[in-house]
Amino acid sequence: KKKSGLCVCPHQHFLPLSALLIVFAADIISTVEFNSSGELLATGDKGGRVVVFQREQESKSQPQRRGEYNVYSTFQSHEPEFDYLKSLEIEEKINKIKWLPQQNAAYFLLSTNDKTVKLWKISERDKRPEGYNLKDEDGRIKDPSTITSLRVPVLQPMDLMVEATARRVFSNAHTYHINSISVNSDLQTFISTDDLRVNLWNLEITDRSFNIVDIKPANMEELTEVITSAEFHPQQCHTFAYSSSKGSIRLCDMRQAALCDKHCKYNCSLLLSVVDFEEPEDPSTRSFFSEIISSISDVKFSHNGRYLMTRDYLTVKVWDLQMENKPLETYQVHDYLRGKLCSLYENDCIFDKFECVWNGSDSVIMTGSYNNFFRMFDRNTKRDVTLEASRENSKPRAILKPRKVCVGGKRRKDEISVDSLDFSKKILHTTWHPHENIIAVAATNNLYIFQDKVN
Amino acid sequence: MLGCGVKRKWSCLEELEVEAEQDGDEGGEDELLVGPSRSEMSRLQQRQVVLGLCLEKLQRYQVGMELSLRRSVLLINTLRQIQEDMRSDGVGTCSPDVHPDSCILRDDFREDMPVTCPGCAEGDGDNLSLSPPASPESPSQEANSPPDQQKPLPAATVSAFSDAVNAMGYLSDFALDDIFEDIDTSMYETSDLTSAWASGSLWPVSVSLWADEDVKMRPPAHSSPGSLQSCLMDLNELDHIMEILVKS
Repeated sequence: KKKSGLCVCPHQHFLPLSALLIVFAADIISTVEFNSSGELLATGDKGGRVVVFQREQESKSQPQRRGEYNVYSTFQSHEPEFDYLKSLEIEEKINKIKWLPQQNAAYFLLSTNDKTVKLWKISERDKRPEGYNLKDEDGRIKDPSTITSLRVPVLQPMDLMVEATARRVFSNAHTYHINSISVNSDLQTFISTDDLRVNLWNLEITDRSFNIVDIKPANMEELTEVITSAEFHPQQCHTFAYSSSKGSIRLCDMRQAALCDKHCKYNCSLLLSVVDFEEPEDPSTRSFFSEIISSISDVKFSHNGRYLMTRDYLTVKVWDLQMENKPLETYQVHDYLRGKLCSLYENDCIFDKFECVWNGSDSVIMTGSYNNFFRMFDRNTKRDVTLEASRENSKPRAILKPRKVCVGGKRRKDEISVDSLDFSKKILHTTWHPHENIIAVAATNNLYIFQDKVN
Repeated sequence: MLGCGVKRKWSCLEELEVEAEQDGDEGGEDELLVGPSRSEMSRLQQRQVVLGLCLEKLQRYQVGMELSLRRSVLLINTLRQIQEDMRSDGVGTCSPDVHPDSCILRDDFREDMPVTCPGCAEGDGDNLSLSPPASPESPSQEANSPPDQQKPLPAATVSAFSDAVNAMGYLSDFALDDIFEDIDTSMYETSDLTSAWASGSLWPVSVSLWADEDVKMRPPAHSSPGSLQSCLMDLNELDHIMEILVKS
């Protein structure tokens, strides 16, 4: 086996990562998602496009060279639309992509913009039928009178073609902007969530959805809270959670709902048993921005289904589903911003919505920050690291160097001061391979795929 | 629309924040003197800066693009919190001792200050009057100090608040939403406060946000809280407060 030539010191590096692929995209990347096997990585962008990368099968001749990701399929998922009733433009930006677990040779994913969810089928074609009776090789229709004998068309090999077709369009169910979608573990249903409502769909039925959560008040003037994200439990098909702009999480059990006839329209009086997760506020830290920074931007169940992770503006929290009065763990992402909240409010950065993600074994959590930094926290060792997604620091096969923000006092040579952080470079979207230490990070127009090196 | 541009120097807002942090433990001595401590002043300065930004963000919207409901709700909640904070500080009460001229708020909102803090806008912070009531030190940079509190509100103010209401997209979305859903008659309920709003009262924002609190605050001597008469009296009382809050 070849030596890498670099010394990988396990004590210095939390998780040694090096760049596997850097892609400059045509537009701002708005979502990234590995599929459940990690073989595919989907990205959605502001222009409504989806680009899917596929991992190369590892070749026996070069075993130390890990499978690389290459472009597999590109398609236009959503187009800009115009809502004539409200005289408003509907953005084509892809807010979320969720994969369905693979059941046959084709791949299926759900992609959504603000208003419409679509189910896409991605399939390969490497053969085509030839020898038609009624049309010639160019596709022109033959004159039937010229046909003297019949033959059976034969499948001939052709260059591999990957095609994406829209199999379902789930529309007209959301008055407000869709912020999340989540596929149920039953593989038959999914939920789509906007600011005020959570709707349950059957993947086969597009003209009907069941509204299972509605927090719209009778008088909109009384509105003080919106739903920011929702996700199904990974194993319990009757359980889902949703987060709010006030920093609370609600765990809902639909088992009451299962008794109802599936084909009847639900009312808002549907009873769900709910458990509210909320940490009491610390009055000593209250400021005018307390509510905004407590707004949860992402909620994710752990793979084992025992924990919930939430991301608010300054922290990531891990909650035990059995304990709703306070989080199990709280991690500071960039607490040095606490003294800068007024400026971040002024330039709107305080409204940024960061996502968070678990690794496959639920031992490490990751989330993004500014200046193209992203942070990882090891829940067992309590170690954390700050890494940067930038071309200068991501030479091929070079281990990423941990970064450090200087919060006061003398700045060391490699540190960066808070005042020098670039707030236009934010990492909002990240995803982690379900089994391996391969991560994908979206930094505005750039997609970075990092992996750990094992020799 | 995002203000997150390229790397930029921090605005002087952080100086306020740093001051506030530094002065957190001070103030014991200052409280013996007339006026609030430095940390209190920083907090008040920050409050009015945030208030100004809040109103500005609510008014600023792109035609043709739907507002983010989450953002609107967070902004309005912040606005409510600031108004609550102001009320608990005694700002806006109609005590004759409180002259709006001596109020910090008025000075700062007379300036055109979308971004810079009052200290920077005026060149130095000394002109801000710190003490309430009988301060002879009315800031002199205001050549056109209003002679009294009860001026009628200028048209610009009215439109500013109308714009703010328009910017609260979800309030107008609400009407359209109902065309296809259950008929919601909450807008037509016989509450005098909301009818005052619906009839084109000058301060839709103030009525909808302050109405309930005003009912609670009213001394018992007043007529019943729900009457139109008391509502209109409230609106007059709010005159000078609106004058304070809105840039002319």
